[in-house]
Amino acid sequence: MARPQAKPSGILRYLASPFVTLVLLTALGFSLLILAPKFNAYALPGNQLGYEPTQPVAFSHRLHAGELQVQCLYCHSGAEKSRHAGIPAANVCMNCHRFVAAPLGAIRAEDELAKKEKREPRRVVSPEIQKIYDALALNEKMQPDPAKPTAPIAWMKVHNLPDFVYFDHRPHVNAGVACQKCHGPVETMERVRQVEDLSMGWCVNCHRGVDRAGLDGNGNFTSAPAPAAQGPMSVTHRVYASIDCSTCHY
Amino acid sequence: MSKRRTKRYWKSLQERDAGPGVLKTLADEFPEGGPRQFRRRDFLKATGFTLGVAFATGCSRAPVQRAIPLLSQPEEMVPGRALFYASTCGGCSAGCGLLAKVRDGRPIKLEGNPQHPVSRGGLCATGQANILGLYDSQRLQHPLKEGKRSSWAEVDREIQAGLASIRGDRGAVRFLSGTITSPTTRATIQEFLNGFPDARHIVYDPLSSSALLDAHEQTHGVRILPQFHFDKAEVIVSFDADFLGTWISPVGYTADYRAGRDLEAKRGSYHVQFEPRMSVTGSKADRRFAVAPGEMGLLLTHLAQRIARKTGTAVPCDEPETASSVGAAFLDELADRLWHARGRSLIVCGSNDLQQQLQSNYLNHLLGNYGSTLDVEKPSLQVQGSDKELGGLLAELQDGNVKALFVYGANPAFDLPGGDGLAGALRKVPLLVSFAQRVDETAALARYVLPEQHYLESWNDAEPVSGLVSVSQPTIHPLGDARSLVETIATWNGKPKSAYDLLREHWKADIFPRQKRESNFDAFWDRAVHDGFAEVEPLPIKSKEFNAQVARPILKAPRSETGAFALVLYPTVAMLDGRNAYNPWLHELPDPITKVTWDNYACIAPAAAQRLGVEDGDVVCLGSSGGQVFELPAYIQPGQQDQVVAVALGYGSKLSARFAKVGPQWLDALVSVGDNGVVGVNAAPLLRLSEGGLKYDGVQVKVSRTGKQRELASTQTHNTLTVPKKLTPPGSGPRQIVQETTLASFLKDPHAGVEDHEEKEDLWPTDHPYTGPRWGMVIDQNACTGCSSCVIACQVENNIPVVGRDEIRRNREMHWIRIDRYYSETESGQIEVAYEPLMCQQCENAPCETVCPVLATVHSEDGLNQQVYNRCIGTRYCANNCPYKARRFNWFNYAHDDQLQNLVLNPDVAVRSRGVMEKCTFCVQRIQEAKIEAKRRGERVSDGVVETACQQSCPARAIFFGDLNDANSHVSKMMANPRRYRVLEELNVRPAVGYLTIVRNRPQEGKEESKEEHHG
Repeated sequence: MARPQAKPSGILRYLASPFVTLVLLTALGFSLLILAPKFNAYALPGNQLGYEPTQPVAFSHRLHAGELQVQCLYCHSGAEKSRHAGIPAANVCMNCHRFVAAPLGAIRAEDELAKKEKREPRRVVSPEIQKIYDALALNEKMQPDPAKPTAPIAWMKVHNLPDFVYFDHRPHVNAGVACQKCHGPVETMERVRQVEDLSMGWCVNCHRGVDRAGLDGNGNFTSAPAPAAQGPMSVTHRVYASIDCSTCHY
Repeated sequence: MSKRRTKRYWKSLQERDAGPGVLKTLADEFPEGGPRQFRRRDFLKATGFTLGVAFATGCSRAPVQRAIPLLSQPEEMVPGRALFYASTCGGCSAGCGLLAKVRDGRPIKLEGNPQHPVSRGGLCATGQANILGLYDSQRLQHPLKEGKRSSWAEVDREIQAGLASIRGDRGAVRFLSGTITSPTTRATIQEFLNGFPDARHIVYDPLSSSALLDAHEQTHGVRILPQFHFDKAEVIVSFDADFLGTWISPVGYTADYRAGRDLEAKRGSYHVQFEPRMSVTGSKADRRFAVAPGEMGLLLTHLAQRIARKTGTAVPCDEPETASSVGAAFLDELADRLWHARGRSLIVCGSNDLQQQLQSNYLNHLLGNYGSTLDVEKPSLQVQGSDKELGGLLAELQDGNVKALFVYGANPAFDLPGGDGLAGALRKVPLLVSFAQRVDETAALARYVLPEQHYLESWNDAEPVSGLVSVSQPTIHPLGDARSLVETIATWNGKPKSAYDLLREHWKADIFPRQKRESNFDAFWDRAVHDGFAEVEPLPIKSKEFNAQVARPILKAPRSETGAFALVLYPTVAMLDGRNAYNPWLHELPDPITKVTWDNYACIAPAAAQRLGVEDGDVVCLGSSGGQVFELPAYIQPGQQDQVVAVALGYGSKLSARFAKVGPQWLDALVSVGDNGVVGVNAAPLLRLSEGGLKYDGVQVKVSRTGKQRELASTQTHNTLTVPKKLTPPGSGPRQIVQETTLASFLKDPHAGVEDHEEKEDLWPTDHPYTGPRWGMVIDQNACTGCSSCVIACQVENNIPVVGRDEIRRNREMHWIRIDRYYSETESGQIEVAYEPLMCQQCENAPCETVCPVLATVHSEDGLNQQVYNRCIGTRYCANNCPYKARRFNWFNYAHDDQLQNLVLNPDVAVRSRGVMEKCTFCVQRIQEAKIEAKRRGERVSDGVVETACQQSCPARAIFFGDLNDANSHVSKMMANPRRYRVLEELNVRPAVGYLTIVRNRPQEGKEESKEEHHG
C-alpha cells in the first residue's frame, strides 16, 4: 500500500519564497486600504433589517392592500400552494389595469381640462402603470404590439434568506399565520420594508411559542382550516411548529 | 454452541490474501498517503495567505437579489412547485418510460414512470444521467459547415442542391443510423429516401444483437427479436447475455427477473450463467461458470443434444468436443431441470454469432418456450440493427460508391473497427451529413453537422415493443438553435412542419387506427401524452413453423494459439457504446463489479495475472495478430475465465477530452485523463466485422508487461466496514457483514441465514419518543443487481459534485449511496458476489451525533440524523466515528462555474461548500414536501407518498422506504420480514435501515449445516 512520496512541487517552492510573501502582503495591505472607507456600507451578512430597496415600479402596497383592500393572496397566490409566495405575473396586474390606467383624480382633471378646452379627453396613463404595458409590449389599444419587445419586470427581492434556509410559505399560511406576523404592516407601506430581522433565533422563538401556547398565544392549538382542504378535514391536526434542524436546513 | 459460518467476504483480492492485517489500513476513514502529499508546513503557509485574502475580500453586503416573475403565467405553473411530464427515455433504444420533474420551466430530475409497461418505474443509471446532456454547454448550438458556424437556411439550401444533383445522377444515398424505435421518424426517413432512385436506410447497433435477429429470420422466417419474459421463467440459462446490465433492455428485464424471484410469494427462479468475464448478470446467477468464449457454442450444443434426446428427436451422432469448464454431470442436471420446467424456462444467448443463436433458438424450441417465455407475436423492436447490411455499406464506402451519407444516432468512426481506413472512406463521401448533439468522431469528418435536439426538448415517439407506442414530449424551451431530425427531413422533403404536427399526423394515420378503445383521435392523443404511452394492436407478424434444420451443432471450439488470451470486448453500464462519454457523472460512477472509475482497463483473471507477474495498475500491452497494440492498466478480476482478457468498449472517445481539468484544480491536482488526452482507450479497433457480424470476442491477443504503472481510481477498498474484535461473540467468528442463505433453507425457515443479535439494553430509553412518523428503509439484497441506478439518482437529486479521478484515488468520492460489492468463494471455488447498498443508516444511537462539538448533526423527531451544513465547522469527528463510513467531507468548493450545467441543480437541496460534512438524509427535502402537502390537505402522510430518489428509480424494486411507526406501511412489513437483519447490528447503534438476506438457489454448503440446525 506504500505510495510514492513526492517532493513539494515547483509551485509550492515558488510560493514559499520571500519575494512572493512580500508581494502578497503588499496586496493585502493595499486592498484593506481601498476597502476601509467603504466599511460603513457593509452590514453583517444575512441581516438586512430595514432593507427598503427602490422598486422598478413604484407599486404602493398602502394603496392596493390598505386602501383598496386587495387580499394578499390575490397577487401572492403561491403562498398557500407553494414554497414561494411569488411575485404576481404581469397578467395578474392586467386583470385590473386593463381598465385602470391612471388614478381617478388624474382622469377627472383631464376630463375637466378637455371640457374647458372643448376637445375630446385624452387617455391618461400613469407613468408607473405604463411600465406594465411596456413590459407586456401593449399598444394604446391594449393589444400586443409585435414590433416591441416584451421584458419582464425585475423586482427587487426584499425578504432574502440565506441559500441554506428552506422557508416554506405553505404550512404558515395554511395554519393561519397572518402575513403581517413576518412581513409587518405591509398595508401601510408605500414601499415594502423588512421589519423583522428574519434571523434563526426569531424563527425558533416563534416556533417555540406556538408549541407552548398555540398560534394566538391563548392555548388554542387547532389551526385555522386549511383553505385548500375540501370538505371536512380528515385529520384535525394540532398546530405544531417543529424546531428540528431539518425543518429548514437540508 | 453452534459453529458459525466460515464463509469469508472480501472486497478485493488484496484483502482476501493479506488477511485481517490489511483491514487496519482499509478501515481508516481518511487514510494517510495518496498519490502525492501536501506537506504540513506548506499547508500552513498557504492557509495564512488564504486567510488574509479572504478577510480582505470577504466582507460584503448580502448581494442584491431580483425576483423576476413571468409576464403571463400559465395556469398550471406555480413557481416553486414541480410538474411531472410523462416522456420516453432516449438514452438508448430500450424506450423506458420516464417522468420528467420540471421546476420553473426546466427539468431537474428524471424518474421512472411506474405505469410504463417496459420499465415499470425503474430507470437505469444511464437514463438518470441523461439529463446532464441537456445542460451540456458543449452541445452543438447551431449547424456547422466544414467545421465552421453556419445557419439552417444555408445548410438546407446547400444540402437540397446537393441532393438534387445526386438524384439527377442516380447516385447512391445512404442513411446510417442506430436502432430507431420511433415509428414517425422511421416513416419520415423512408419517405425521404423514397424520393431517390438508389437509397437505403441501414441500421446498425454498436452493441450488436444482429445475430439474434438473423437467427430468428432463419428459424421463424421473420427477422424479429422476441420479447423475453424472465418473470415467467423458472429456469434461466444465459450464455454470456448480460441482461441485467447492458443487454437490450436491462431495466425491463430486471423488473421481470425480480418478479420471477419474489421470495414473498415463495418464487425463486434458477439462473445459470455461462460467461467469460464477471458481468452484472453473472454476479446474480445461482450457478455461474467462467467459460472461454470459444466453448460457448459447445455448451449450447451439449445442452441441445441432451434436451433433444429427452424429446425423442433424432440427434446427430457426432458428439461435440467436451467443454473443459463445465462438467458433464452438471450439464445432465441442468438438462433435467430445464426439461422439468419446459415451457417455463428460458435460454438467452448474448453472443453475436449466428450458429450459437441458432442453437439457442433450437433449445428454446425444444423446451417449448416459444409462446410462453419468448413472445414472437408481440416482438421487441428495441434492437433492429443488421450487421450484414452494415458490411454491405462499408464495402460501398470503400469503393467510393456512396454519393450521400446521412449519419444519425450513430458514431461509426468511433464504434466500428476500421480506424483510419474507415475515416478515409467516410471522408471520400461527397455529401456526408451528421446529425449529432456534439462534435463526435464522425461529425468531425462530416461536411455538414446538424445539431440534433435532446429528447427532453423535442416531440418524438417510440415503439419499443410491438403494440406499445410511447410518447416523448418537450419539457423545456429548446436551448440553442437545434432542430429535430423529422423537422429537418420534412424541410428537405419540401413540406416544412413542426415535429409536433408531424407526430400527430403520423399518429392519426398509422397509430390511431391500430386501437379501438378511443373513437376520437384528440382524446386518444391526449391520453397518450398524459400517460406517456398508448397500447395498440401489435403489427402483424407472419412467422413460419420453426425450422430446426438450420440449427447445426457446433462441434469444435476454435483453436487458440498457445499463450494467447481470448479478448472479450464488453460494454459497461455507464458508457455503453461510448454515447455517454461526455457525461462526468457516468465516468465517476464506480463500475458495479470492478468499482473502477474514470478509466477502462484490461481485466485479467487472478491466476493468469500471477503467471504474467501483473498486479493491479500495471500497464499491460495487448497485441493482436493483426498488429494492433494497446496499452491499458491491468485489473485483476476474480471470477474471470483464466484465458480471457476483457476490455470495456466506449472509452477513449473524443468527447471525454473535456475532462482534463475536471474536479478541484488545486496545487497538487492531477489530471483525470490519460496520456492520450481522453478518458480510457478506445477498444473498438479490436472488434471484428466478419461473416456479416460484429464479433466482440474471438480475437487472440498476447499480453505482456510494459513496466509502466497507472494506478486505477477504484473505490472497492474505500469505506471498508470492520467489526471491532471485542464485539465478536465469544467462541465464534465475527458476525457476517453480508448474510445469506439458500433457497431450500429459506423455504424451510424464512429466518435462515440471519445471524441474530441479542438486543442490548438502551442507555437512553426515552430519548427519542418518535410520536409522529419514524422514517426507515429496508433494502432487499436479493433483489439488488448492483446496477448503480440509485447512485446516479442520488447524485442528481442531492446535487452531489463530481470530484474527478485524482480525488477518487485519495478516497474523496462524494456519492452518498454506495454499493459495496463483496466476493466470496463457495467450496467448489465458484466466486459469488453480494451487493450491499450502503448509505447513512440514520442510527437511533448515532455515534456521529455524540461527537459533534457544534451540534451540526442531531437527531430529528422523526428519526433522521440531520446534518446541518451551515453549522458544520468540518472537524470530521463524525465521519471518524461512523461505523458505516457513510459520511462525505467537502474538501473543496467543487466547480459550479458552468452556468448552463447549474440548471440541473435541485433547487430544494443546498449546494454544500468547502469544509462541510454531508451525507444521505433519506431525501429529507422530499419528506418535507410530502409532510407540508399532506398538512395543507389536512391529511396524514400516506404510505408510499415519500419515495427517496434511490428507491424511485430502482429497476429491481430493492428499496423500501416509509414510516416505521405505521404498522401497515410497506416498509414496516418488510422490517418484520424474517429475512431482515441489520448491518453491524452488534454495535447497538440501532440503524433505521434493515437488509434482507440474499437467498441463493443452490445446494447448501456442508459447513452451514450445523448453523441450520441452530436456527431450525
